[in-house]
Parts: sequence; C-alpha cells; structure tokens
Amino acid sequence: MPARDRDIQSFLPLTPAMLHTLLALADGDKHGYAILKEVSRRTAGTVRLGPGTLYALIKRALADGLIVETDDRPDPALDDERRKYYRLAARGRRVAVAEIERLESIVDLAHEKKLRPRTA
Amino acid sequence: MTTRPRSRADRLFTALLRALPSEFRGDHGREMEQVFRAQHHDVRTGGTAMTMLRLWLETLQDIVATAPREHFAILRQDVGYALRTLRGAPAFSIAAVVTLALGIGATTGLFTILNAFLFRPLPVSRPDELVSVATLDHHIELPHGLSYRDLEDYRQNNAAFSDLIGFEPTGPVLNADGGSERIAVELVTGNYFAVLGVPPALGRVIAPTEGRAAGDAPVMVLAYDYWRVRFAGDPAVIGKSVRVSGHPVTIVGVAAPTFDSTESLLKISAYLPISMSDIIDPPTTSEHSTLEARDQHGMRVLGRLRPGVSLDQARAAMAVKAAALARQYPDTNKDVSLLLVPETSARPEPSTGPWFRVAAGAFTLLAALLLAITSANIANMLLARAAARGREVAIRSAIGARRGRLVRQLLTEGVVLAAIGGGLALPIAWMITGGFVRGVGAFASEIPLRIDLGFDWRVLSAAAAVACASGVLAGLAPALYAFRADTNALLKTGGRTHAASVDRSVVRRTLIVGQVAVSLALLVIGGLFMKSLERARLLDLGFRQDHLLLADTQPAMNGYDGAQRLAFYRRVRGRVAAMPQVQSAAWISTPPFASDLSDAKVFVEGRPPVRVGDAPMSFLVRVSPEYFATATVAIVSGRAFTDRDDATHAQVMIVNQTLARQIWPGEDPIGRRARLAKDGPPVEVVGVVKDGKYIFVWETPRPMIFRPLDQEPPGSATLVVRTAGSPTDAAGEIRGEIRGADPDVLVTGMRSMTSHLDQGNAFIIFRMGAILSGFFGVMGLLLASVGLYGVIAYHVAQREHEIGVRVALGARPADIVRQVLARAVRLATVGAVVGMLLTAPVARLVGPLLLGVSPFDPQTYGSVALVLVAVAVAASLVPALRAVSVDPVECLRAE
Repeated sequence: MPARDRDIQSFLPLTPAMLHTLLALADGDKHGYAILKEVSRRTAGTVRLGPGTLYALIKRALADGLIVETDDRPDPALDDERRKYYRLAARGRRVAVAEIERLESIVDLAHEKKLRPRTA
Repeated sequence: MTTRPRSRADRLFTALLRALPSEFRGDHGREMEQVFRAQHHDVRTGGTAMTMLRLWLETLQDIVATAPREHFAILRQDVGYALRTLRGAPAFSIAAVVTLALGIGATTGLFTILNAFLFRPLPVSRPDELVSVATLDHHIELPHGLSYRDLEDYRQNNAAFSDLIGFEPTGPVLNADGGSERIAVELVTGNYFAVLGVPPALGRVIAPTEGRAAGDAPVMVLAYDYWRVRFAGDPAVIGKSVRVSGHPVTIVGVAAPTFDSTESLLKISAYLPISMSDIIDPPTTSEHSTLEARDQHGMRVLGRLRPGVSLDQARAAMAVKAAALARQYPDTNKDVSLLLVPETSARPEPSTGPWFRVAAGAFTLLAALLLAITSANIANMLLARAAARGREVAIRSAIGARRGRLVRQLLTEGVVLAAIGGGLALPIAWMITGGFVRGVGAFASEIPLRIDLGFDWRVLSAAAAVACASGVLAGLAPALYAFRADTNALLKTGGRTHAASVDRSVVRRTLIVGQVAVSLALLVIGGLFMKSLERARLLDLGFRQDHLLLADTQPAMNGYDGAQRLAFYRRVRGRVAAMPQVQSAAWISTPPFASDLSDAKVFVEGRPPVRVGDAPMSFLVRVSPEYFATATVAIVSGRAFTDRDDATHAQVMIVNQTLARQIWPGEDPIGRRARLAKDGPPVEVVGVVKDGKYIFVWETPRPMIFRPLDQEPPGSATLVVRTAGSPTDAAGEIRGEIRGADPDVLVTGMRSMTSHLDQGNAFIIFRMGAILSGFFGVMGLLLASVGLYGVIAYHVAQREHEIGVRVALGARPADIVRQVLARAVRLATVGAVVGMLLTAPVARLVGPLLLGVSPFDPQTYGSVALVLVAVAVAASLVPALRAVSVDPVECLRAE
C-alpha cells in the first residue's frame, strides 16, 4: 500500500457526522450554519449537529488537513463578513471517497449474501 | 461591522459555552454563537414552542457532550507536552521527582504510623467516650495495668463510667481439626463486647454474665479475619470444641468483621473470658490467681464515660475510689494511684503511651520539617527553572499563545511532576512503615505480631493532598513568572537577567542556608544519640553481653503443669549444653531489659514486723543453677545455686548488693532469712551477686532477687546460651535441639543478647533517636544537596557569558572551578553556623536522654559540619566543571 493510501486509510472509518460534514462541503464552500443545515436536510434530520459537535468536527478536520478555511466570499454583500467559510481540501476529498468505497464494499457484501436484494 | 444587541438567548448560549476549554472557545466561540443565533432565529420565525424547547434541549445536550471530550483532548496534549519537556531537562526532572518522592514518601510513611497509633479510632461504637485507666505505683516508673479485683471494685457504683472493661493478651497454643498453632488471644471481661457495642457476625459474643469464676465459661469467640482464614469462613464452626493450651473450649461465635480488637499492635485471633486465664496459664506456687490477686496489675482497662462526664470529673471520681481501696486493702493498694487518659493516648499500651506521645510529637515535627524542606527545595528549583524558561515562555507568548493556555500547561507540568513523584513516594512510604513494623515487631517479642498499618483513606488523601499541593506550587512558580515577565525584556536579553533576579537569588540562597542548617541540626542530634549508644554498649550491665543467644519458650501455653515444665527445662538444657559449639546454657524466667519482670515484697525474719504496705519491693527472677556462670554475673559472697536447690530442699535465694545493703545494712546477709510473701515460707540467702542494670541503662541500682527455677518453675522462660563462636550461627541448631527435646513447645523468639539489648528497653531510645534523627538528617542533607546543585547550576548558567569572556581573557580553569566551589562552600558554611545556633537549644532538650556525651559535644558538631561542607562541594562539582567547559568563542559570537 502506498504511503499516501495508508495515510488516508488511517482516518477510516469516519463517523457519520464527519462523513456528512465532508459531503456537505463537496459541492462548494460553506460556513458553519450552512453545513449544519445541509447535513440536516440531506439526512432528513437523522444526523443532527449541534454547534458544539459541529465545531469539534471542524477543529479536528482543520487539524488533520481535511478542510481548510477560505478567504473567498461568494458575495460579500450577501453575507456577514465575520463568518468563516470552509473548503474541502484534496486530502479530505480522498478520505471521503475512501470512506464511501468502504461503505460500498459493505453494501456489495450484503447483496452477495442476499441480505438485501439489489434494487437496480 | 454591524453590532446587534445581544438577546437573552444569546447570553444564555454564551454562558453555556463557558463549559468548553478556553482555547476551543477562543477559536470557535464566535462562530458557534452565530450558528446558534441563526438556529434560534429560524425556530422563532417558523417554529412552535415545542420546537424551541427541542432546540434548547438539543443544544444543552450538545455542549454537555462536547465539553469533557475537548477538555480531555487538551489535557492529553498538555501531559504529552509536559512529558516531552521534562525529558528534555532530565537533570531538573530527576532532581524534582526525587525530591518530591522523598518528601511525600517520608511524610506519608510517618502519617501512616501516626494514624495507626494516634488517630485511627477503635472500630467500636462511640470510640471517643473510651478512657484508658492505668495503675501508677512506686515500684516501676511506668504506668501499667489493673488487677481484676481492683477493676471489679471500680465497676461498682461508678458515677463517672457507665462501665469498665478489662482485657489481657496472651499467646496460647490452639489445637483444632488435628492442627496446632500459636495464636494471639485476648482474655476479656464478660462485658467486653457489650460495652464496646460489638455484635457477633455469627453465633454469639461473650455475655456479661460469663467469666466471673475461674474456668466457668470455657467459650471462645473468633475474630472475623481468623475465622475466614483458619476455618475457611465455615459457619459450622459454631459449637465446635477445640483445645486451647490443652484445655477444651467451645467456639460460640464470630465477632463482627469491622471489629479488630482493642489492641493497636496485635492481631488478635480469638477472645476468651478472663476466667480462662488461670486455666490456660496456671499461676506458679508463689503467684496468685489472676482473678484473685489484687497486686497483679496485668489487665488493660478501658472505661466508657457516662454522657456529659468530662475526663477531669472522671479522674476525680476514680481518685476517690482508689483512695477508698487503699484504705480497705493497704497491703496491696497503699501507694496505688490511677492514670486516666483518652484511649488514643494509651497506645499501644499505657506503659509506652507517654513515650509514644513524645515520639509521635517528634515524628510530627520532623515530618513537618521535612515537608517544609521539600517545598522549599521544589520552590527553589522551580524558581531557577522559571527564570531559565522565561525566554521560552516569552517566545511562545510572542507568537500568540494565550496566557491562560500557557499557565494551564505549566500547571499540568507541575502536576505531572507531582504525580510521578507521588507514585514513587508510595513504595518509599511502604519501606518506611515496613521498617517500623519490623522494628516494633522485634521490640515486642512476647506474641508474634502482625501490625496493621494499611493505608486507609486518611493516609491516601493526605498523600494526594501533599502531591497536589506540591504540583500546584510547582506549576505556579513558572506560571506566575510567565504572567509577570516582560516579554520584550526577556526576548532582548535571552532570558539571562531580570530586574527581579537579585531578590530571587536572595530568596534562593536563604532557602539553601535554611536547609543546610536544619540538616545539620538533625544530623548532630542523630550523632549525639549514636555516641550515647556507643557509650551504652561499653557500660557495665552486670553481665558479659557478647556470645550470648536468647531463646524464649512458654511451655505453660501447652498446658504443662509445674513438673512437666521442669522436665522440659531440664531436657532442653541438657541437650543444648552438650552441643560442641556451646560453652554453657541456663534458664531465666525473664532476661534483663525485658519489659515484664515480676516483683516481690520482702518480709524480714527476726526483725520487728514492718508496717503492712511498707515492705521493701524488689524485682525477682527465677534462674537455673548455671545462670550466673553463663551470663558471667559475679558472685560477691556465698555461693551460686546447685542442683540440690530444688523443691525437696530448703527454699533459698540469691540477692544483689543493693538489696543486701537495703535490708541488712552493715551485716553479712548470707544465712539471713526473709519471706517473699506475707504468709510465704522463709527463704534463706545463700549468695550475693554484683549489681547490674535490669530494666533501663540509666536506672539507679535496684534491688533484685534470684530464685532457683527448680523451686518455682515459671510458665515461660528464656534459655540463655553462651556460644564459642557467633551466637546467631548456632541459632538454627539450638532451635533444633529444643524441638528435639519437645516438638510441641514452640520457640517464640530467638535473638543474640546484642540485638536483644539494641531492640529492648536497653538501647532502644538511643537507637530510635539515632535512626530517626539520622534518617531525617540524611534526607535533609540529600534534599539540601539537590537544592545546592540547582542553585550553583543556575548561577553558572546565568554567568556563562561572563565566564566565557573571562576564559577568553586568559583566566585559568582552576580559578573558575575554585570560584564556583567557593560560592557553594560559603553557602554551606553560613548554613552550618546557623545550624549550630539552632541545634544548641534542641540538644539541651534531648540532653537528659543522652548517655555519657555532652549535648554540645564539639567533636560531633565539628564532624557533621565538615560532612556538610564536603557534600556541598560534591554537589557543586558538576556545575563547576560545566563552567570550565564553556566555549569562549561561542560566548563572544553570541554577543
């Protein structure tokens, strides 16, 4: 296993909250509240992040280099300048993909074992 | 920037955030507030009261779940950082950890001992009401027990005490289930359990109505632990018949698990009514029954004060009762008075209680002193280190580290140090208490001891408190420094000099001088005791101490009667004396300097009868004929005993010079007769021996009577053996011969006369004094040298630049070393001088305990001072050599 892959693997498995946070940033930079709302919406309220949990995740993701703070503002007029925006880093993207592949392999296994029939 | 007025919800949320670590709050707090405000806004505009409640509950849960995780993460990070930092400065870390370990360890060890003796209340109901009652009379200097008869009288119509109990430990042989072993048994008055409020765990306890007449209640209550271990906790043990010293006894119950007897030194295995005393340990012909003899002061007595009665009132009431008894029974009670003290002041027994109180006071003082030295030392080292780390702190602060975070980190470092030191302190404390237990165990050889000095919650919390306090103190010094430090100044000077450094170095030097002074005081006191011990060893005790082995036996504990005991004594002596490495062997009922000598009154024949109660009092031992030759006690006139001095011949005795002089002044005592009990048979003096010391080395000559073992075989006796070679080498074989003579009788103690003297009444005070002061003195010296090392090392580090310049200018290394060492010697000398001034009054205080040495012995003072200065030089040698290795080029380049 190449060193980089090993590095990525060391983050797995991700907690659902972390995975959803990374996913929320996959299609564009967001500030904290936007991440929180996106996660809540995408999971139909099953993953609910409070401010504490969210920023503990952000702190860890920043420290691990999965996300970065960004200075770009989508439109300063539309937004409060004090808000910090976060962007998915290349490493974070690889980690998210690796986690999804891991989940896929589990889903595949479940299909093979006929635990759940294929829908498509 | 728009500023919105903060709503009540905002303020509440901000308050919640305070649960999070300040660092986390600083990084993300404002954003979190923004997020919450947005959430709150959404719910308020589109939600119901229910959704609002839900938002609050979820937020609360969210913060509560996050806070501990984040705190822990920071703690882990800080501990990791602290460990790395400490590893980076190994000399400092080791010095600090050793200092803390010694300081906390010694303090904990001492506290454990003090706790066991003084503070731990008896495990009974309302222990603070219990008062120890002891007899004071004129024939021995120490308070001791009461007789059963006196106790029974004191119990009648007592206004001060609701009741009084009596108890007396003994060590019979127990036979049960085919096995036999020697156990520690408490003989107790029937009301013992009732008055103490101790219930049975199983069966019943001894009832107040039991044990009033000899042998009337052959019942036994087992101690809970002994029941668990010896009888595997079998409930069927109730009703079982066992043999104690050969006599059948029925087990009727098991005492409550929490109850651990009224002894502070002995581990009691079982309780028997006092009425069994004469059955398991029958009195010899001249002794009276335990239940009858009014002058046999063997019972320890505790009284339970009536509600509202003070100790002084109880003293007054009991004094009246004692006076009444003295009038009623002048023969036995004339000079008897009572000593009443709280139960905790009479541990481990009334006779040693006052001594232990003094020792405990000394212990406490020394512990406090040691703790003070430890704290001073740690403070000293940390101050030096704080100054050295000033630059690091300044840099971290300059690159944006928050001060709160820095302080938290430095505190963590201190606590980590204290935790490591505290961890290492536990084995040290354990070693100290272990040594103490062994010391006391050897001291009291009567019953095998198992002293329970277990760490209880008090000891643990005391150690934890000391550790935490040192940790906070340790962390606080650099933390305060970090706060006060002027970042710019520190960066500019590279942390080398500060305006305040002059004050600090004065504080540090004062601390060192103080430590050296205290160490000197302790070492000098230790030295004085050591010298007294040397002198005491050279003292003429009335016999030759070398090449003697002592072996204790108690055939009475096997239920042997007089004839059986005598047969045993003869058989053993015959076998041991025949051994090639043995020169001679003899029996003595109680060896010199043991604590349990019997006494006798002397009624002189052919003399106008002395007034009753005025009969001269003497100590009395029983010896086999060979004793005087074996111990080399000089016979001044007359003869020694022979084998013919047995029960079939005339009663004889040998007296010492003091007794001869007291009773027959100016006459030849040989052939004179006296009675040793008012109605006893006349006993003829056949010899006079030279005076010796019998109980304490500093005693004035006391009267002593020797009686033939054969005419009055004692229940227990000690075999005294003079060996050709080392007595301890022969110990194993001698034990084997005793077992060969009778496998059932156990040898309960064996030691050379030298160690008997060291550990018994004879020299114990000098030894304890020397060991205690020496131990603390060496600890103090160790700590002081660590401190001195720190100060000199710091001094050198601060002057590195200056030294470099001087080397560059051509100073010789020897000059630099000499200069650094001179500084250390100066500090040590000042400390030594202060120490001598400090020692003088303390030495005067212990003067009465010294033997043959002045409390101001110049030799002791001088040699200790020399040692101190030598240690100071040694401690500063490493930093001095480091000073020489300073590279002048490096120094000048840094300029």
